[in-house]
Amino acid sequence: MTGSSIDPFVDLYARRTSGMTASEVRALFAVASRPEVISLAGGMPFVQALPTEDVLGVVEKVIAERGSLALQYGGGLGQISLREKLAGLMAEEGVSGVDPEQICVTVGGSQALDILGKIFVNAGDEIVVEAPSYVGALSAFSAYEPAYVPIRMDDNGMVVEELETALLRGVRPKFVYTIPNFQNPAGVTLSLSRREKLVSLCREAGVPIVEDNPYGMLRFEGESLPTLKSLDPQNVIYIGSLSKVFAAGIRIGWVNADSGVLQRFLPAKEAADLCTSNLTQLVAEEYLAGDRWRPNLAALVDIYRSRRDACVRALEDTFPADSSWTHPAGGFYVWVTLPDHFDSQRMLAAAVERRVAYVPGTAFYPDGRGRDQLRLAFCFPPDNDVTEGIRRLADLLADESAIYRSLQP
Amino acid sequence: MKGKIAVLAGGRSPEREVSLLSGHRVRNALLERGWDAVTIDPAESPLLESLSSGHFNGCYIALHGKEGEDGTVQRLLELVGVPYTGTRPFRCQIAFDKALGKEALAAAGVPTPPWAVVEARALRDLSAGHILRHVIDRVGLPVAVKPAQGGSAMGLSFVEREPDLPAAIMGALSFSDACIVERKVLGTEVTAGLLGNPPEALPLVEIVPKSGTYDYGSRYTTGATEYFAPARLESGVTQMSHSVALQAFLALHLKDVGRADIIVDQQGDPWVLEVNVSPGMTEMSLLPMAAQAAGLSLADLCERVLELALA
Repeated sequence: MTGSSIDPFVDLYARRTSGMTASEVRALFAVASRPEVISLAGGMPFVQALPTEDVLGVVEKVIAERGSLALQYGGGLGQISLREKLAGLMAEEGVSGVDPEQICVTVGGSQALDILGKIFVNAGDEIVVEAPSYVGALSAFSAYEPAYVPIRMDDNGMVVEELETALLRGVRPKFVYTIPNFQNPAGVTLSLSRREKLVSLCREAGVPIVEDNPYGMLRFEGESLPTLKSLDPQNVIYIGSLSKVFAAGIRIGWVNADSGVLQRFLPAKEAADLCTSNLTQLVAEEYLAGDRWRPNLAALVDIYRSRRDACVRALEDTFPADSSWTHPAGGFYVWVTLPDHFDSQRMLAAAVERRVAYVPGTAFYPDGRGRDQLRLAFCFPPDNDVTEGIRRLADLLADESAIYRSLQP
Repeated sequence: MKGKIAVLAGGRSPEREVSLLSGHRVRNALLERGWDAVTIDPAESPLLESLSSGHFNGCYIALHGKEGEDGTVQRLLELVGVPYTGTRPFRCQIAFDKALGKEALAAAGVPTPPWAVVEARALRDLSAGHILRHVIDRVGLPVAVKPAQGGSAMGLSFVEREPDLPAAIMGALSFSDACIVERKVLGTEVTAGLLGNPPEALPLVEIVPKSGTYDYGSRYTTGATEYFAPARLESGVTQMSHSVALQAFLALHLKDVGRADIIVDQQGDPWVLEVNVSPGMTEMSLLPMAAQAAGLSLADLCERVLELALA
């Protein structure tokens, strides 16, 4: 006799769906995203700061002047007029001379990650990721069933020496995935000497680097460091995004790579969705053609800097002395390491009950590590809320510590 | 239209998502039967204002977890005089809190596995150190550790070894101010839906999670658990299970609808783990499966529960 399992197709799904299940943490985020909760969880750009008239102007212009193009299918690579603008943006980030023909517009940076996984990774192939790494990248890659090789991070980004050891040990990854600037989730930036070492190491080993750079233009202080792409144009696949520079809702990202990669990337992209929305591509292009995006971005950077300051100050004022955190010079995130008796995943329900949310550290590792760590996103709530949210977390930590101590034999 | 009904769903508990799914299905079921059913999410709009402006004939409570099942919402509805489905406030409070509920079950002679209550306040404010030794002496190992308040198996863990107990307790205390450490009974997991006034037991639903543990993932990932309705038990065992389920329902003074979660041990003896006053109504929930095994559609079930409330 067989029972009912609700889903008649349950035995038919591909093995790659095995991790795609309901989870308690996911359910908690349904409560955490409610307005009464101060969310330091999701990395949502503060789009409220964008003046409505600036966006409305470009949308109206696109529809009025190029409506029939905006509402039609487009080429798989994306609109050339936008790709020229994106090459210009890359030049501002220090990657000069990019050929717009070697840019493919994607649905956010996320689609680029998925397609790179699709064209590089066979089940069981090794890929190198930072530990911790971006949860969205791990989700995208995991569908292709890689064998992860996580490389530790410190305040200067990926510990490249450990990658070197791994390569010497015989690890032969399909690629190395890194977010060198204001990393998600760690908030740290890869130092210049490590950038140089990383590109030379990978070039010698014949391993491509996937450089994901969504936060590069959100620098609060200090000098920009050269992108990996500028240090080694041939061996680096570059992913850019307008989600933080303009708006996440337009879903515009891009990949810049040599023709060999693009030859495979393009058909995979077309198979996924034919093309990125022409409407949002043209809106992005008009926005970048105008004179408002720079002051708007500068205003956003000021807002994020102030929230970062509030975040770090509140941590210093309220968090236990035996915890530590990173000091991001840009981007969205502070990464906190607690004394190892804390379990951030377990603690999340209590945090949400106290009307504050974060993302447990375990989300950012492919191997279950990170229970004593958590990611705080300071980008969305106003300064006061950031401060208050961290105070609530600190109270929770104090209570947890008291309970923990009393449970010791 | 038969009457205007507010389906309460959503709320702020960790089971918000489950409740929204329950509420959606209940509302559709009532609409299908000609009721003018409207969903109200107390987290989205002030409950009393929504109720008084809507002139409702009754409320269907599809909230799960704190506020929805612990008597809070029921007390408000008593105050404003709107009939509502299910159990009265004080009884909700006792049934929803496993520390109180198990006490009431045991007092009434309903078999429930040995347990101990561990309260956050005792640990934090009374520095009740060395408590674990006593807990294990009382309950033994292995144990199930669960929040005293809450559902959907959130915060649940099983512990085989004493050193793992503190982490399990802290995990459960994340969801609730107290937790239950309960002896783990090995056997067949079943649930008994209870419906009517006086209550009648619906066919038992047997639960076979593929992972071996009926946790949140096994409950809400389609295909992760196999269900048998009616359960594959001998008729004597089924009868005994029905009988303890009814005893539990009566011991806790539930009204009109409920669900008793039971484990039948290897000797064929049923143990009541807990009784739910607002059982899930999602596609993957057990009460609708039990009703279906009795020949009642979801619409039959929802309308019956509602009519009992309005009677």
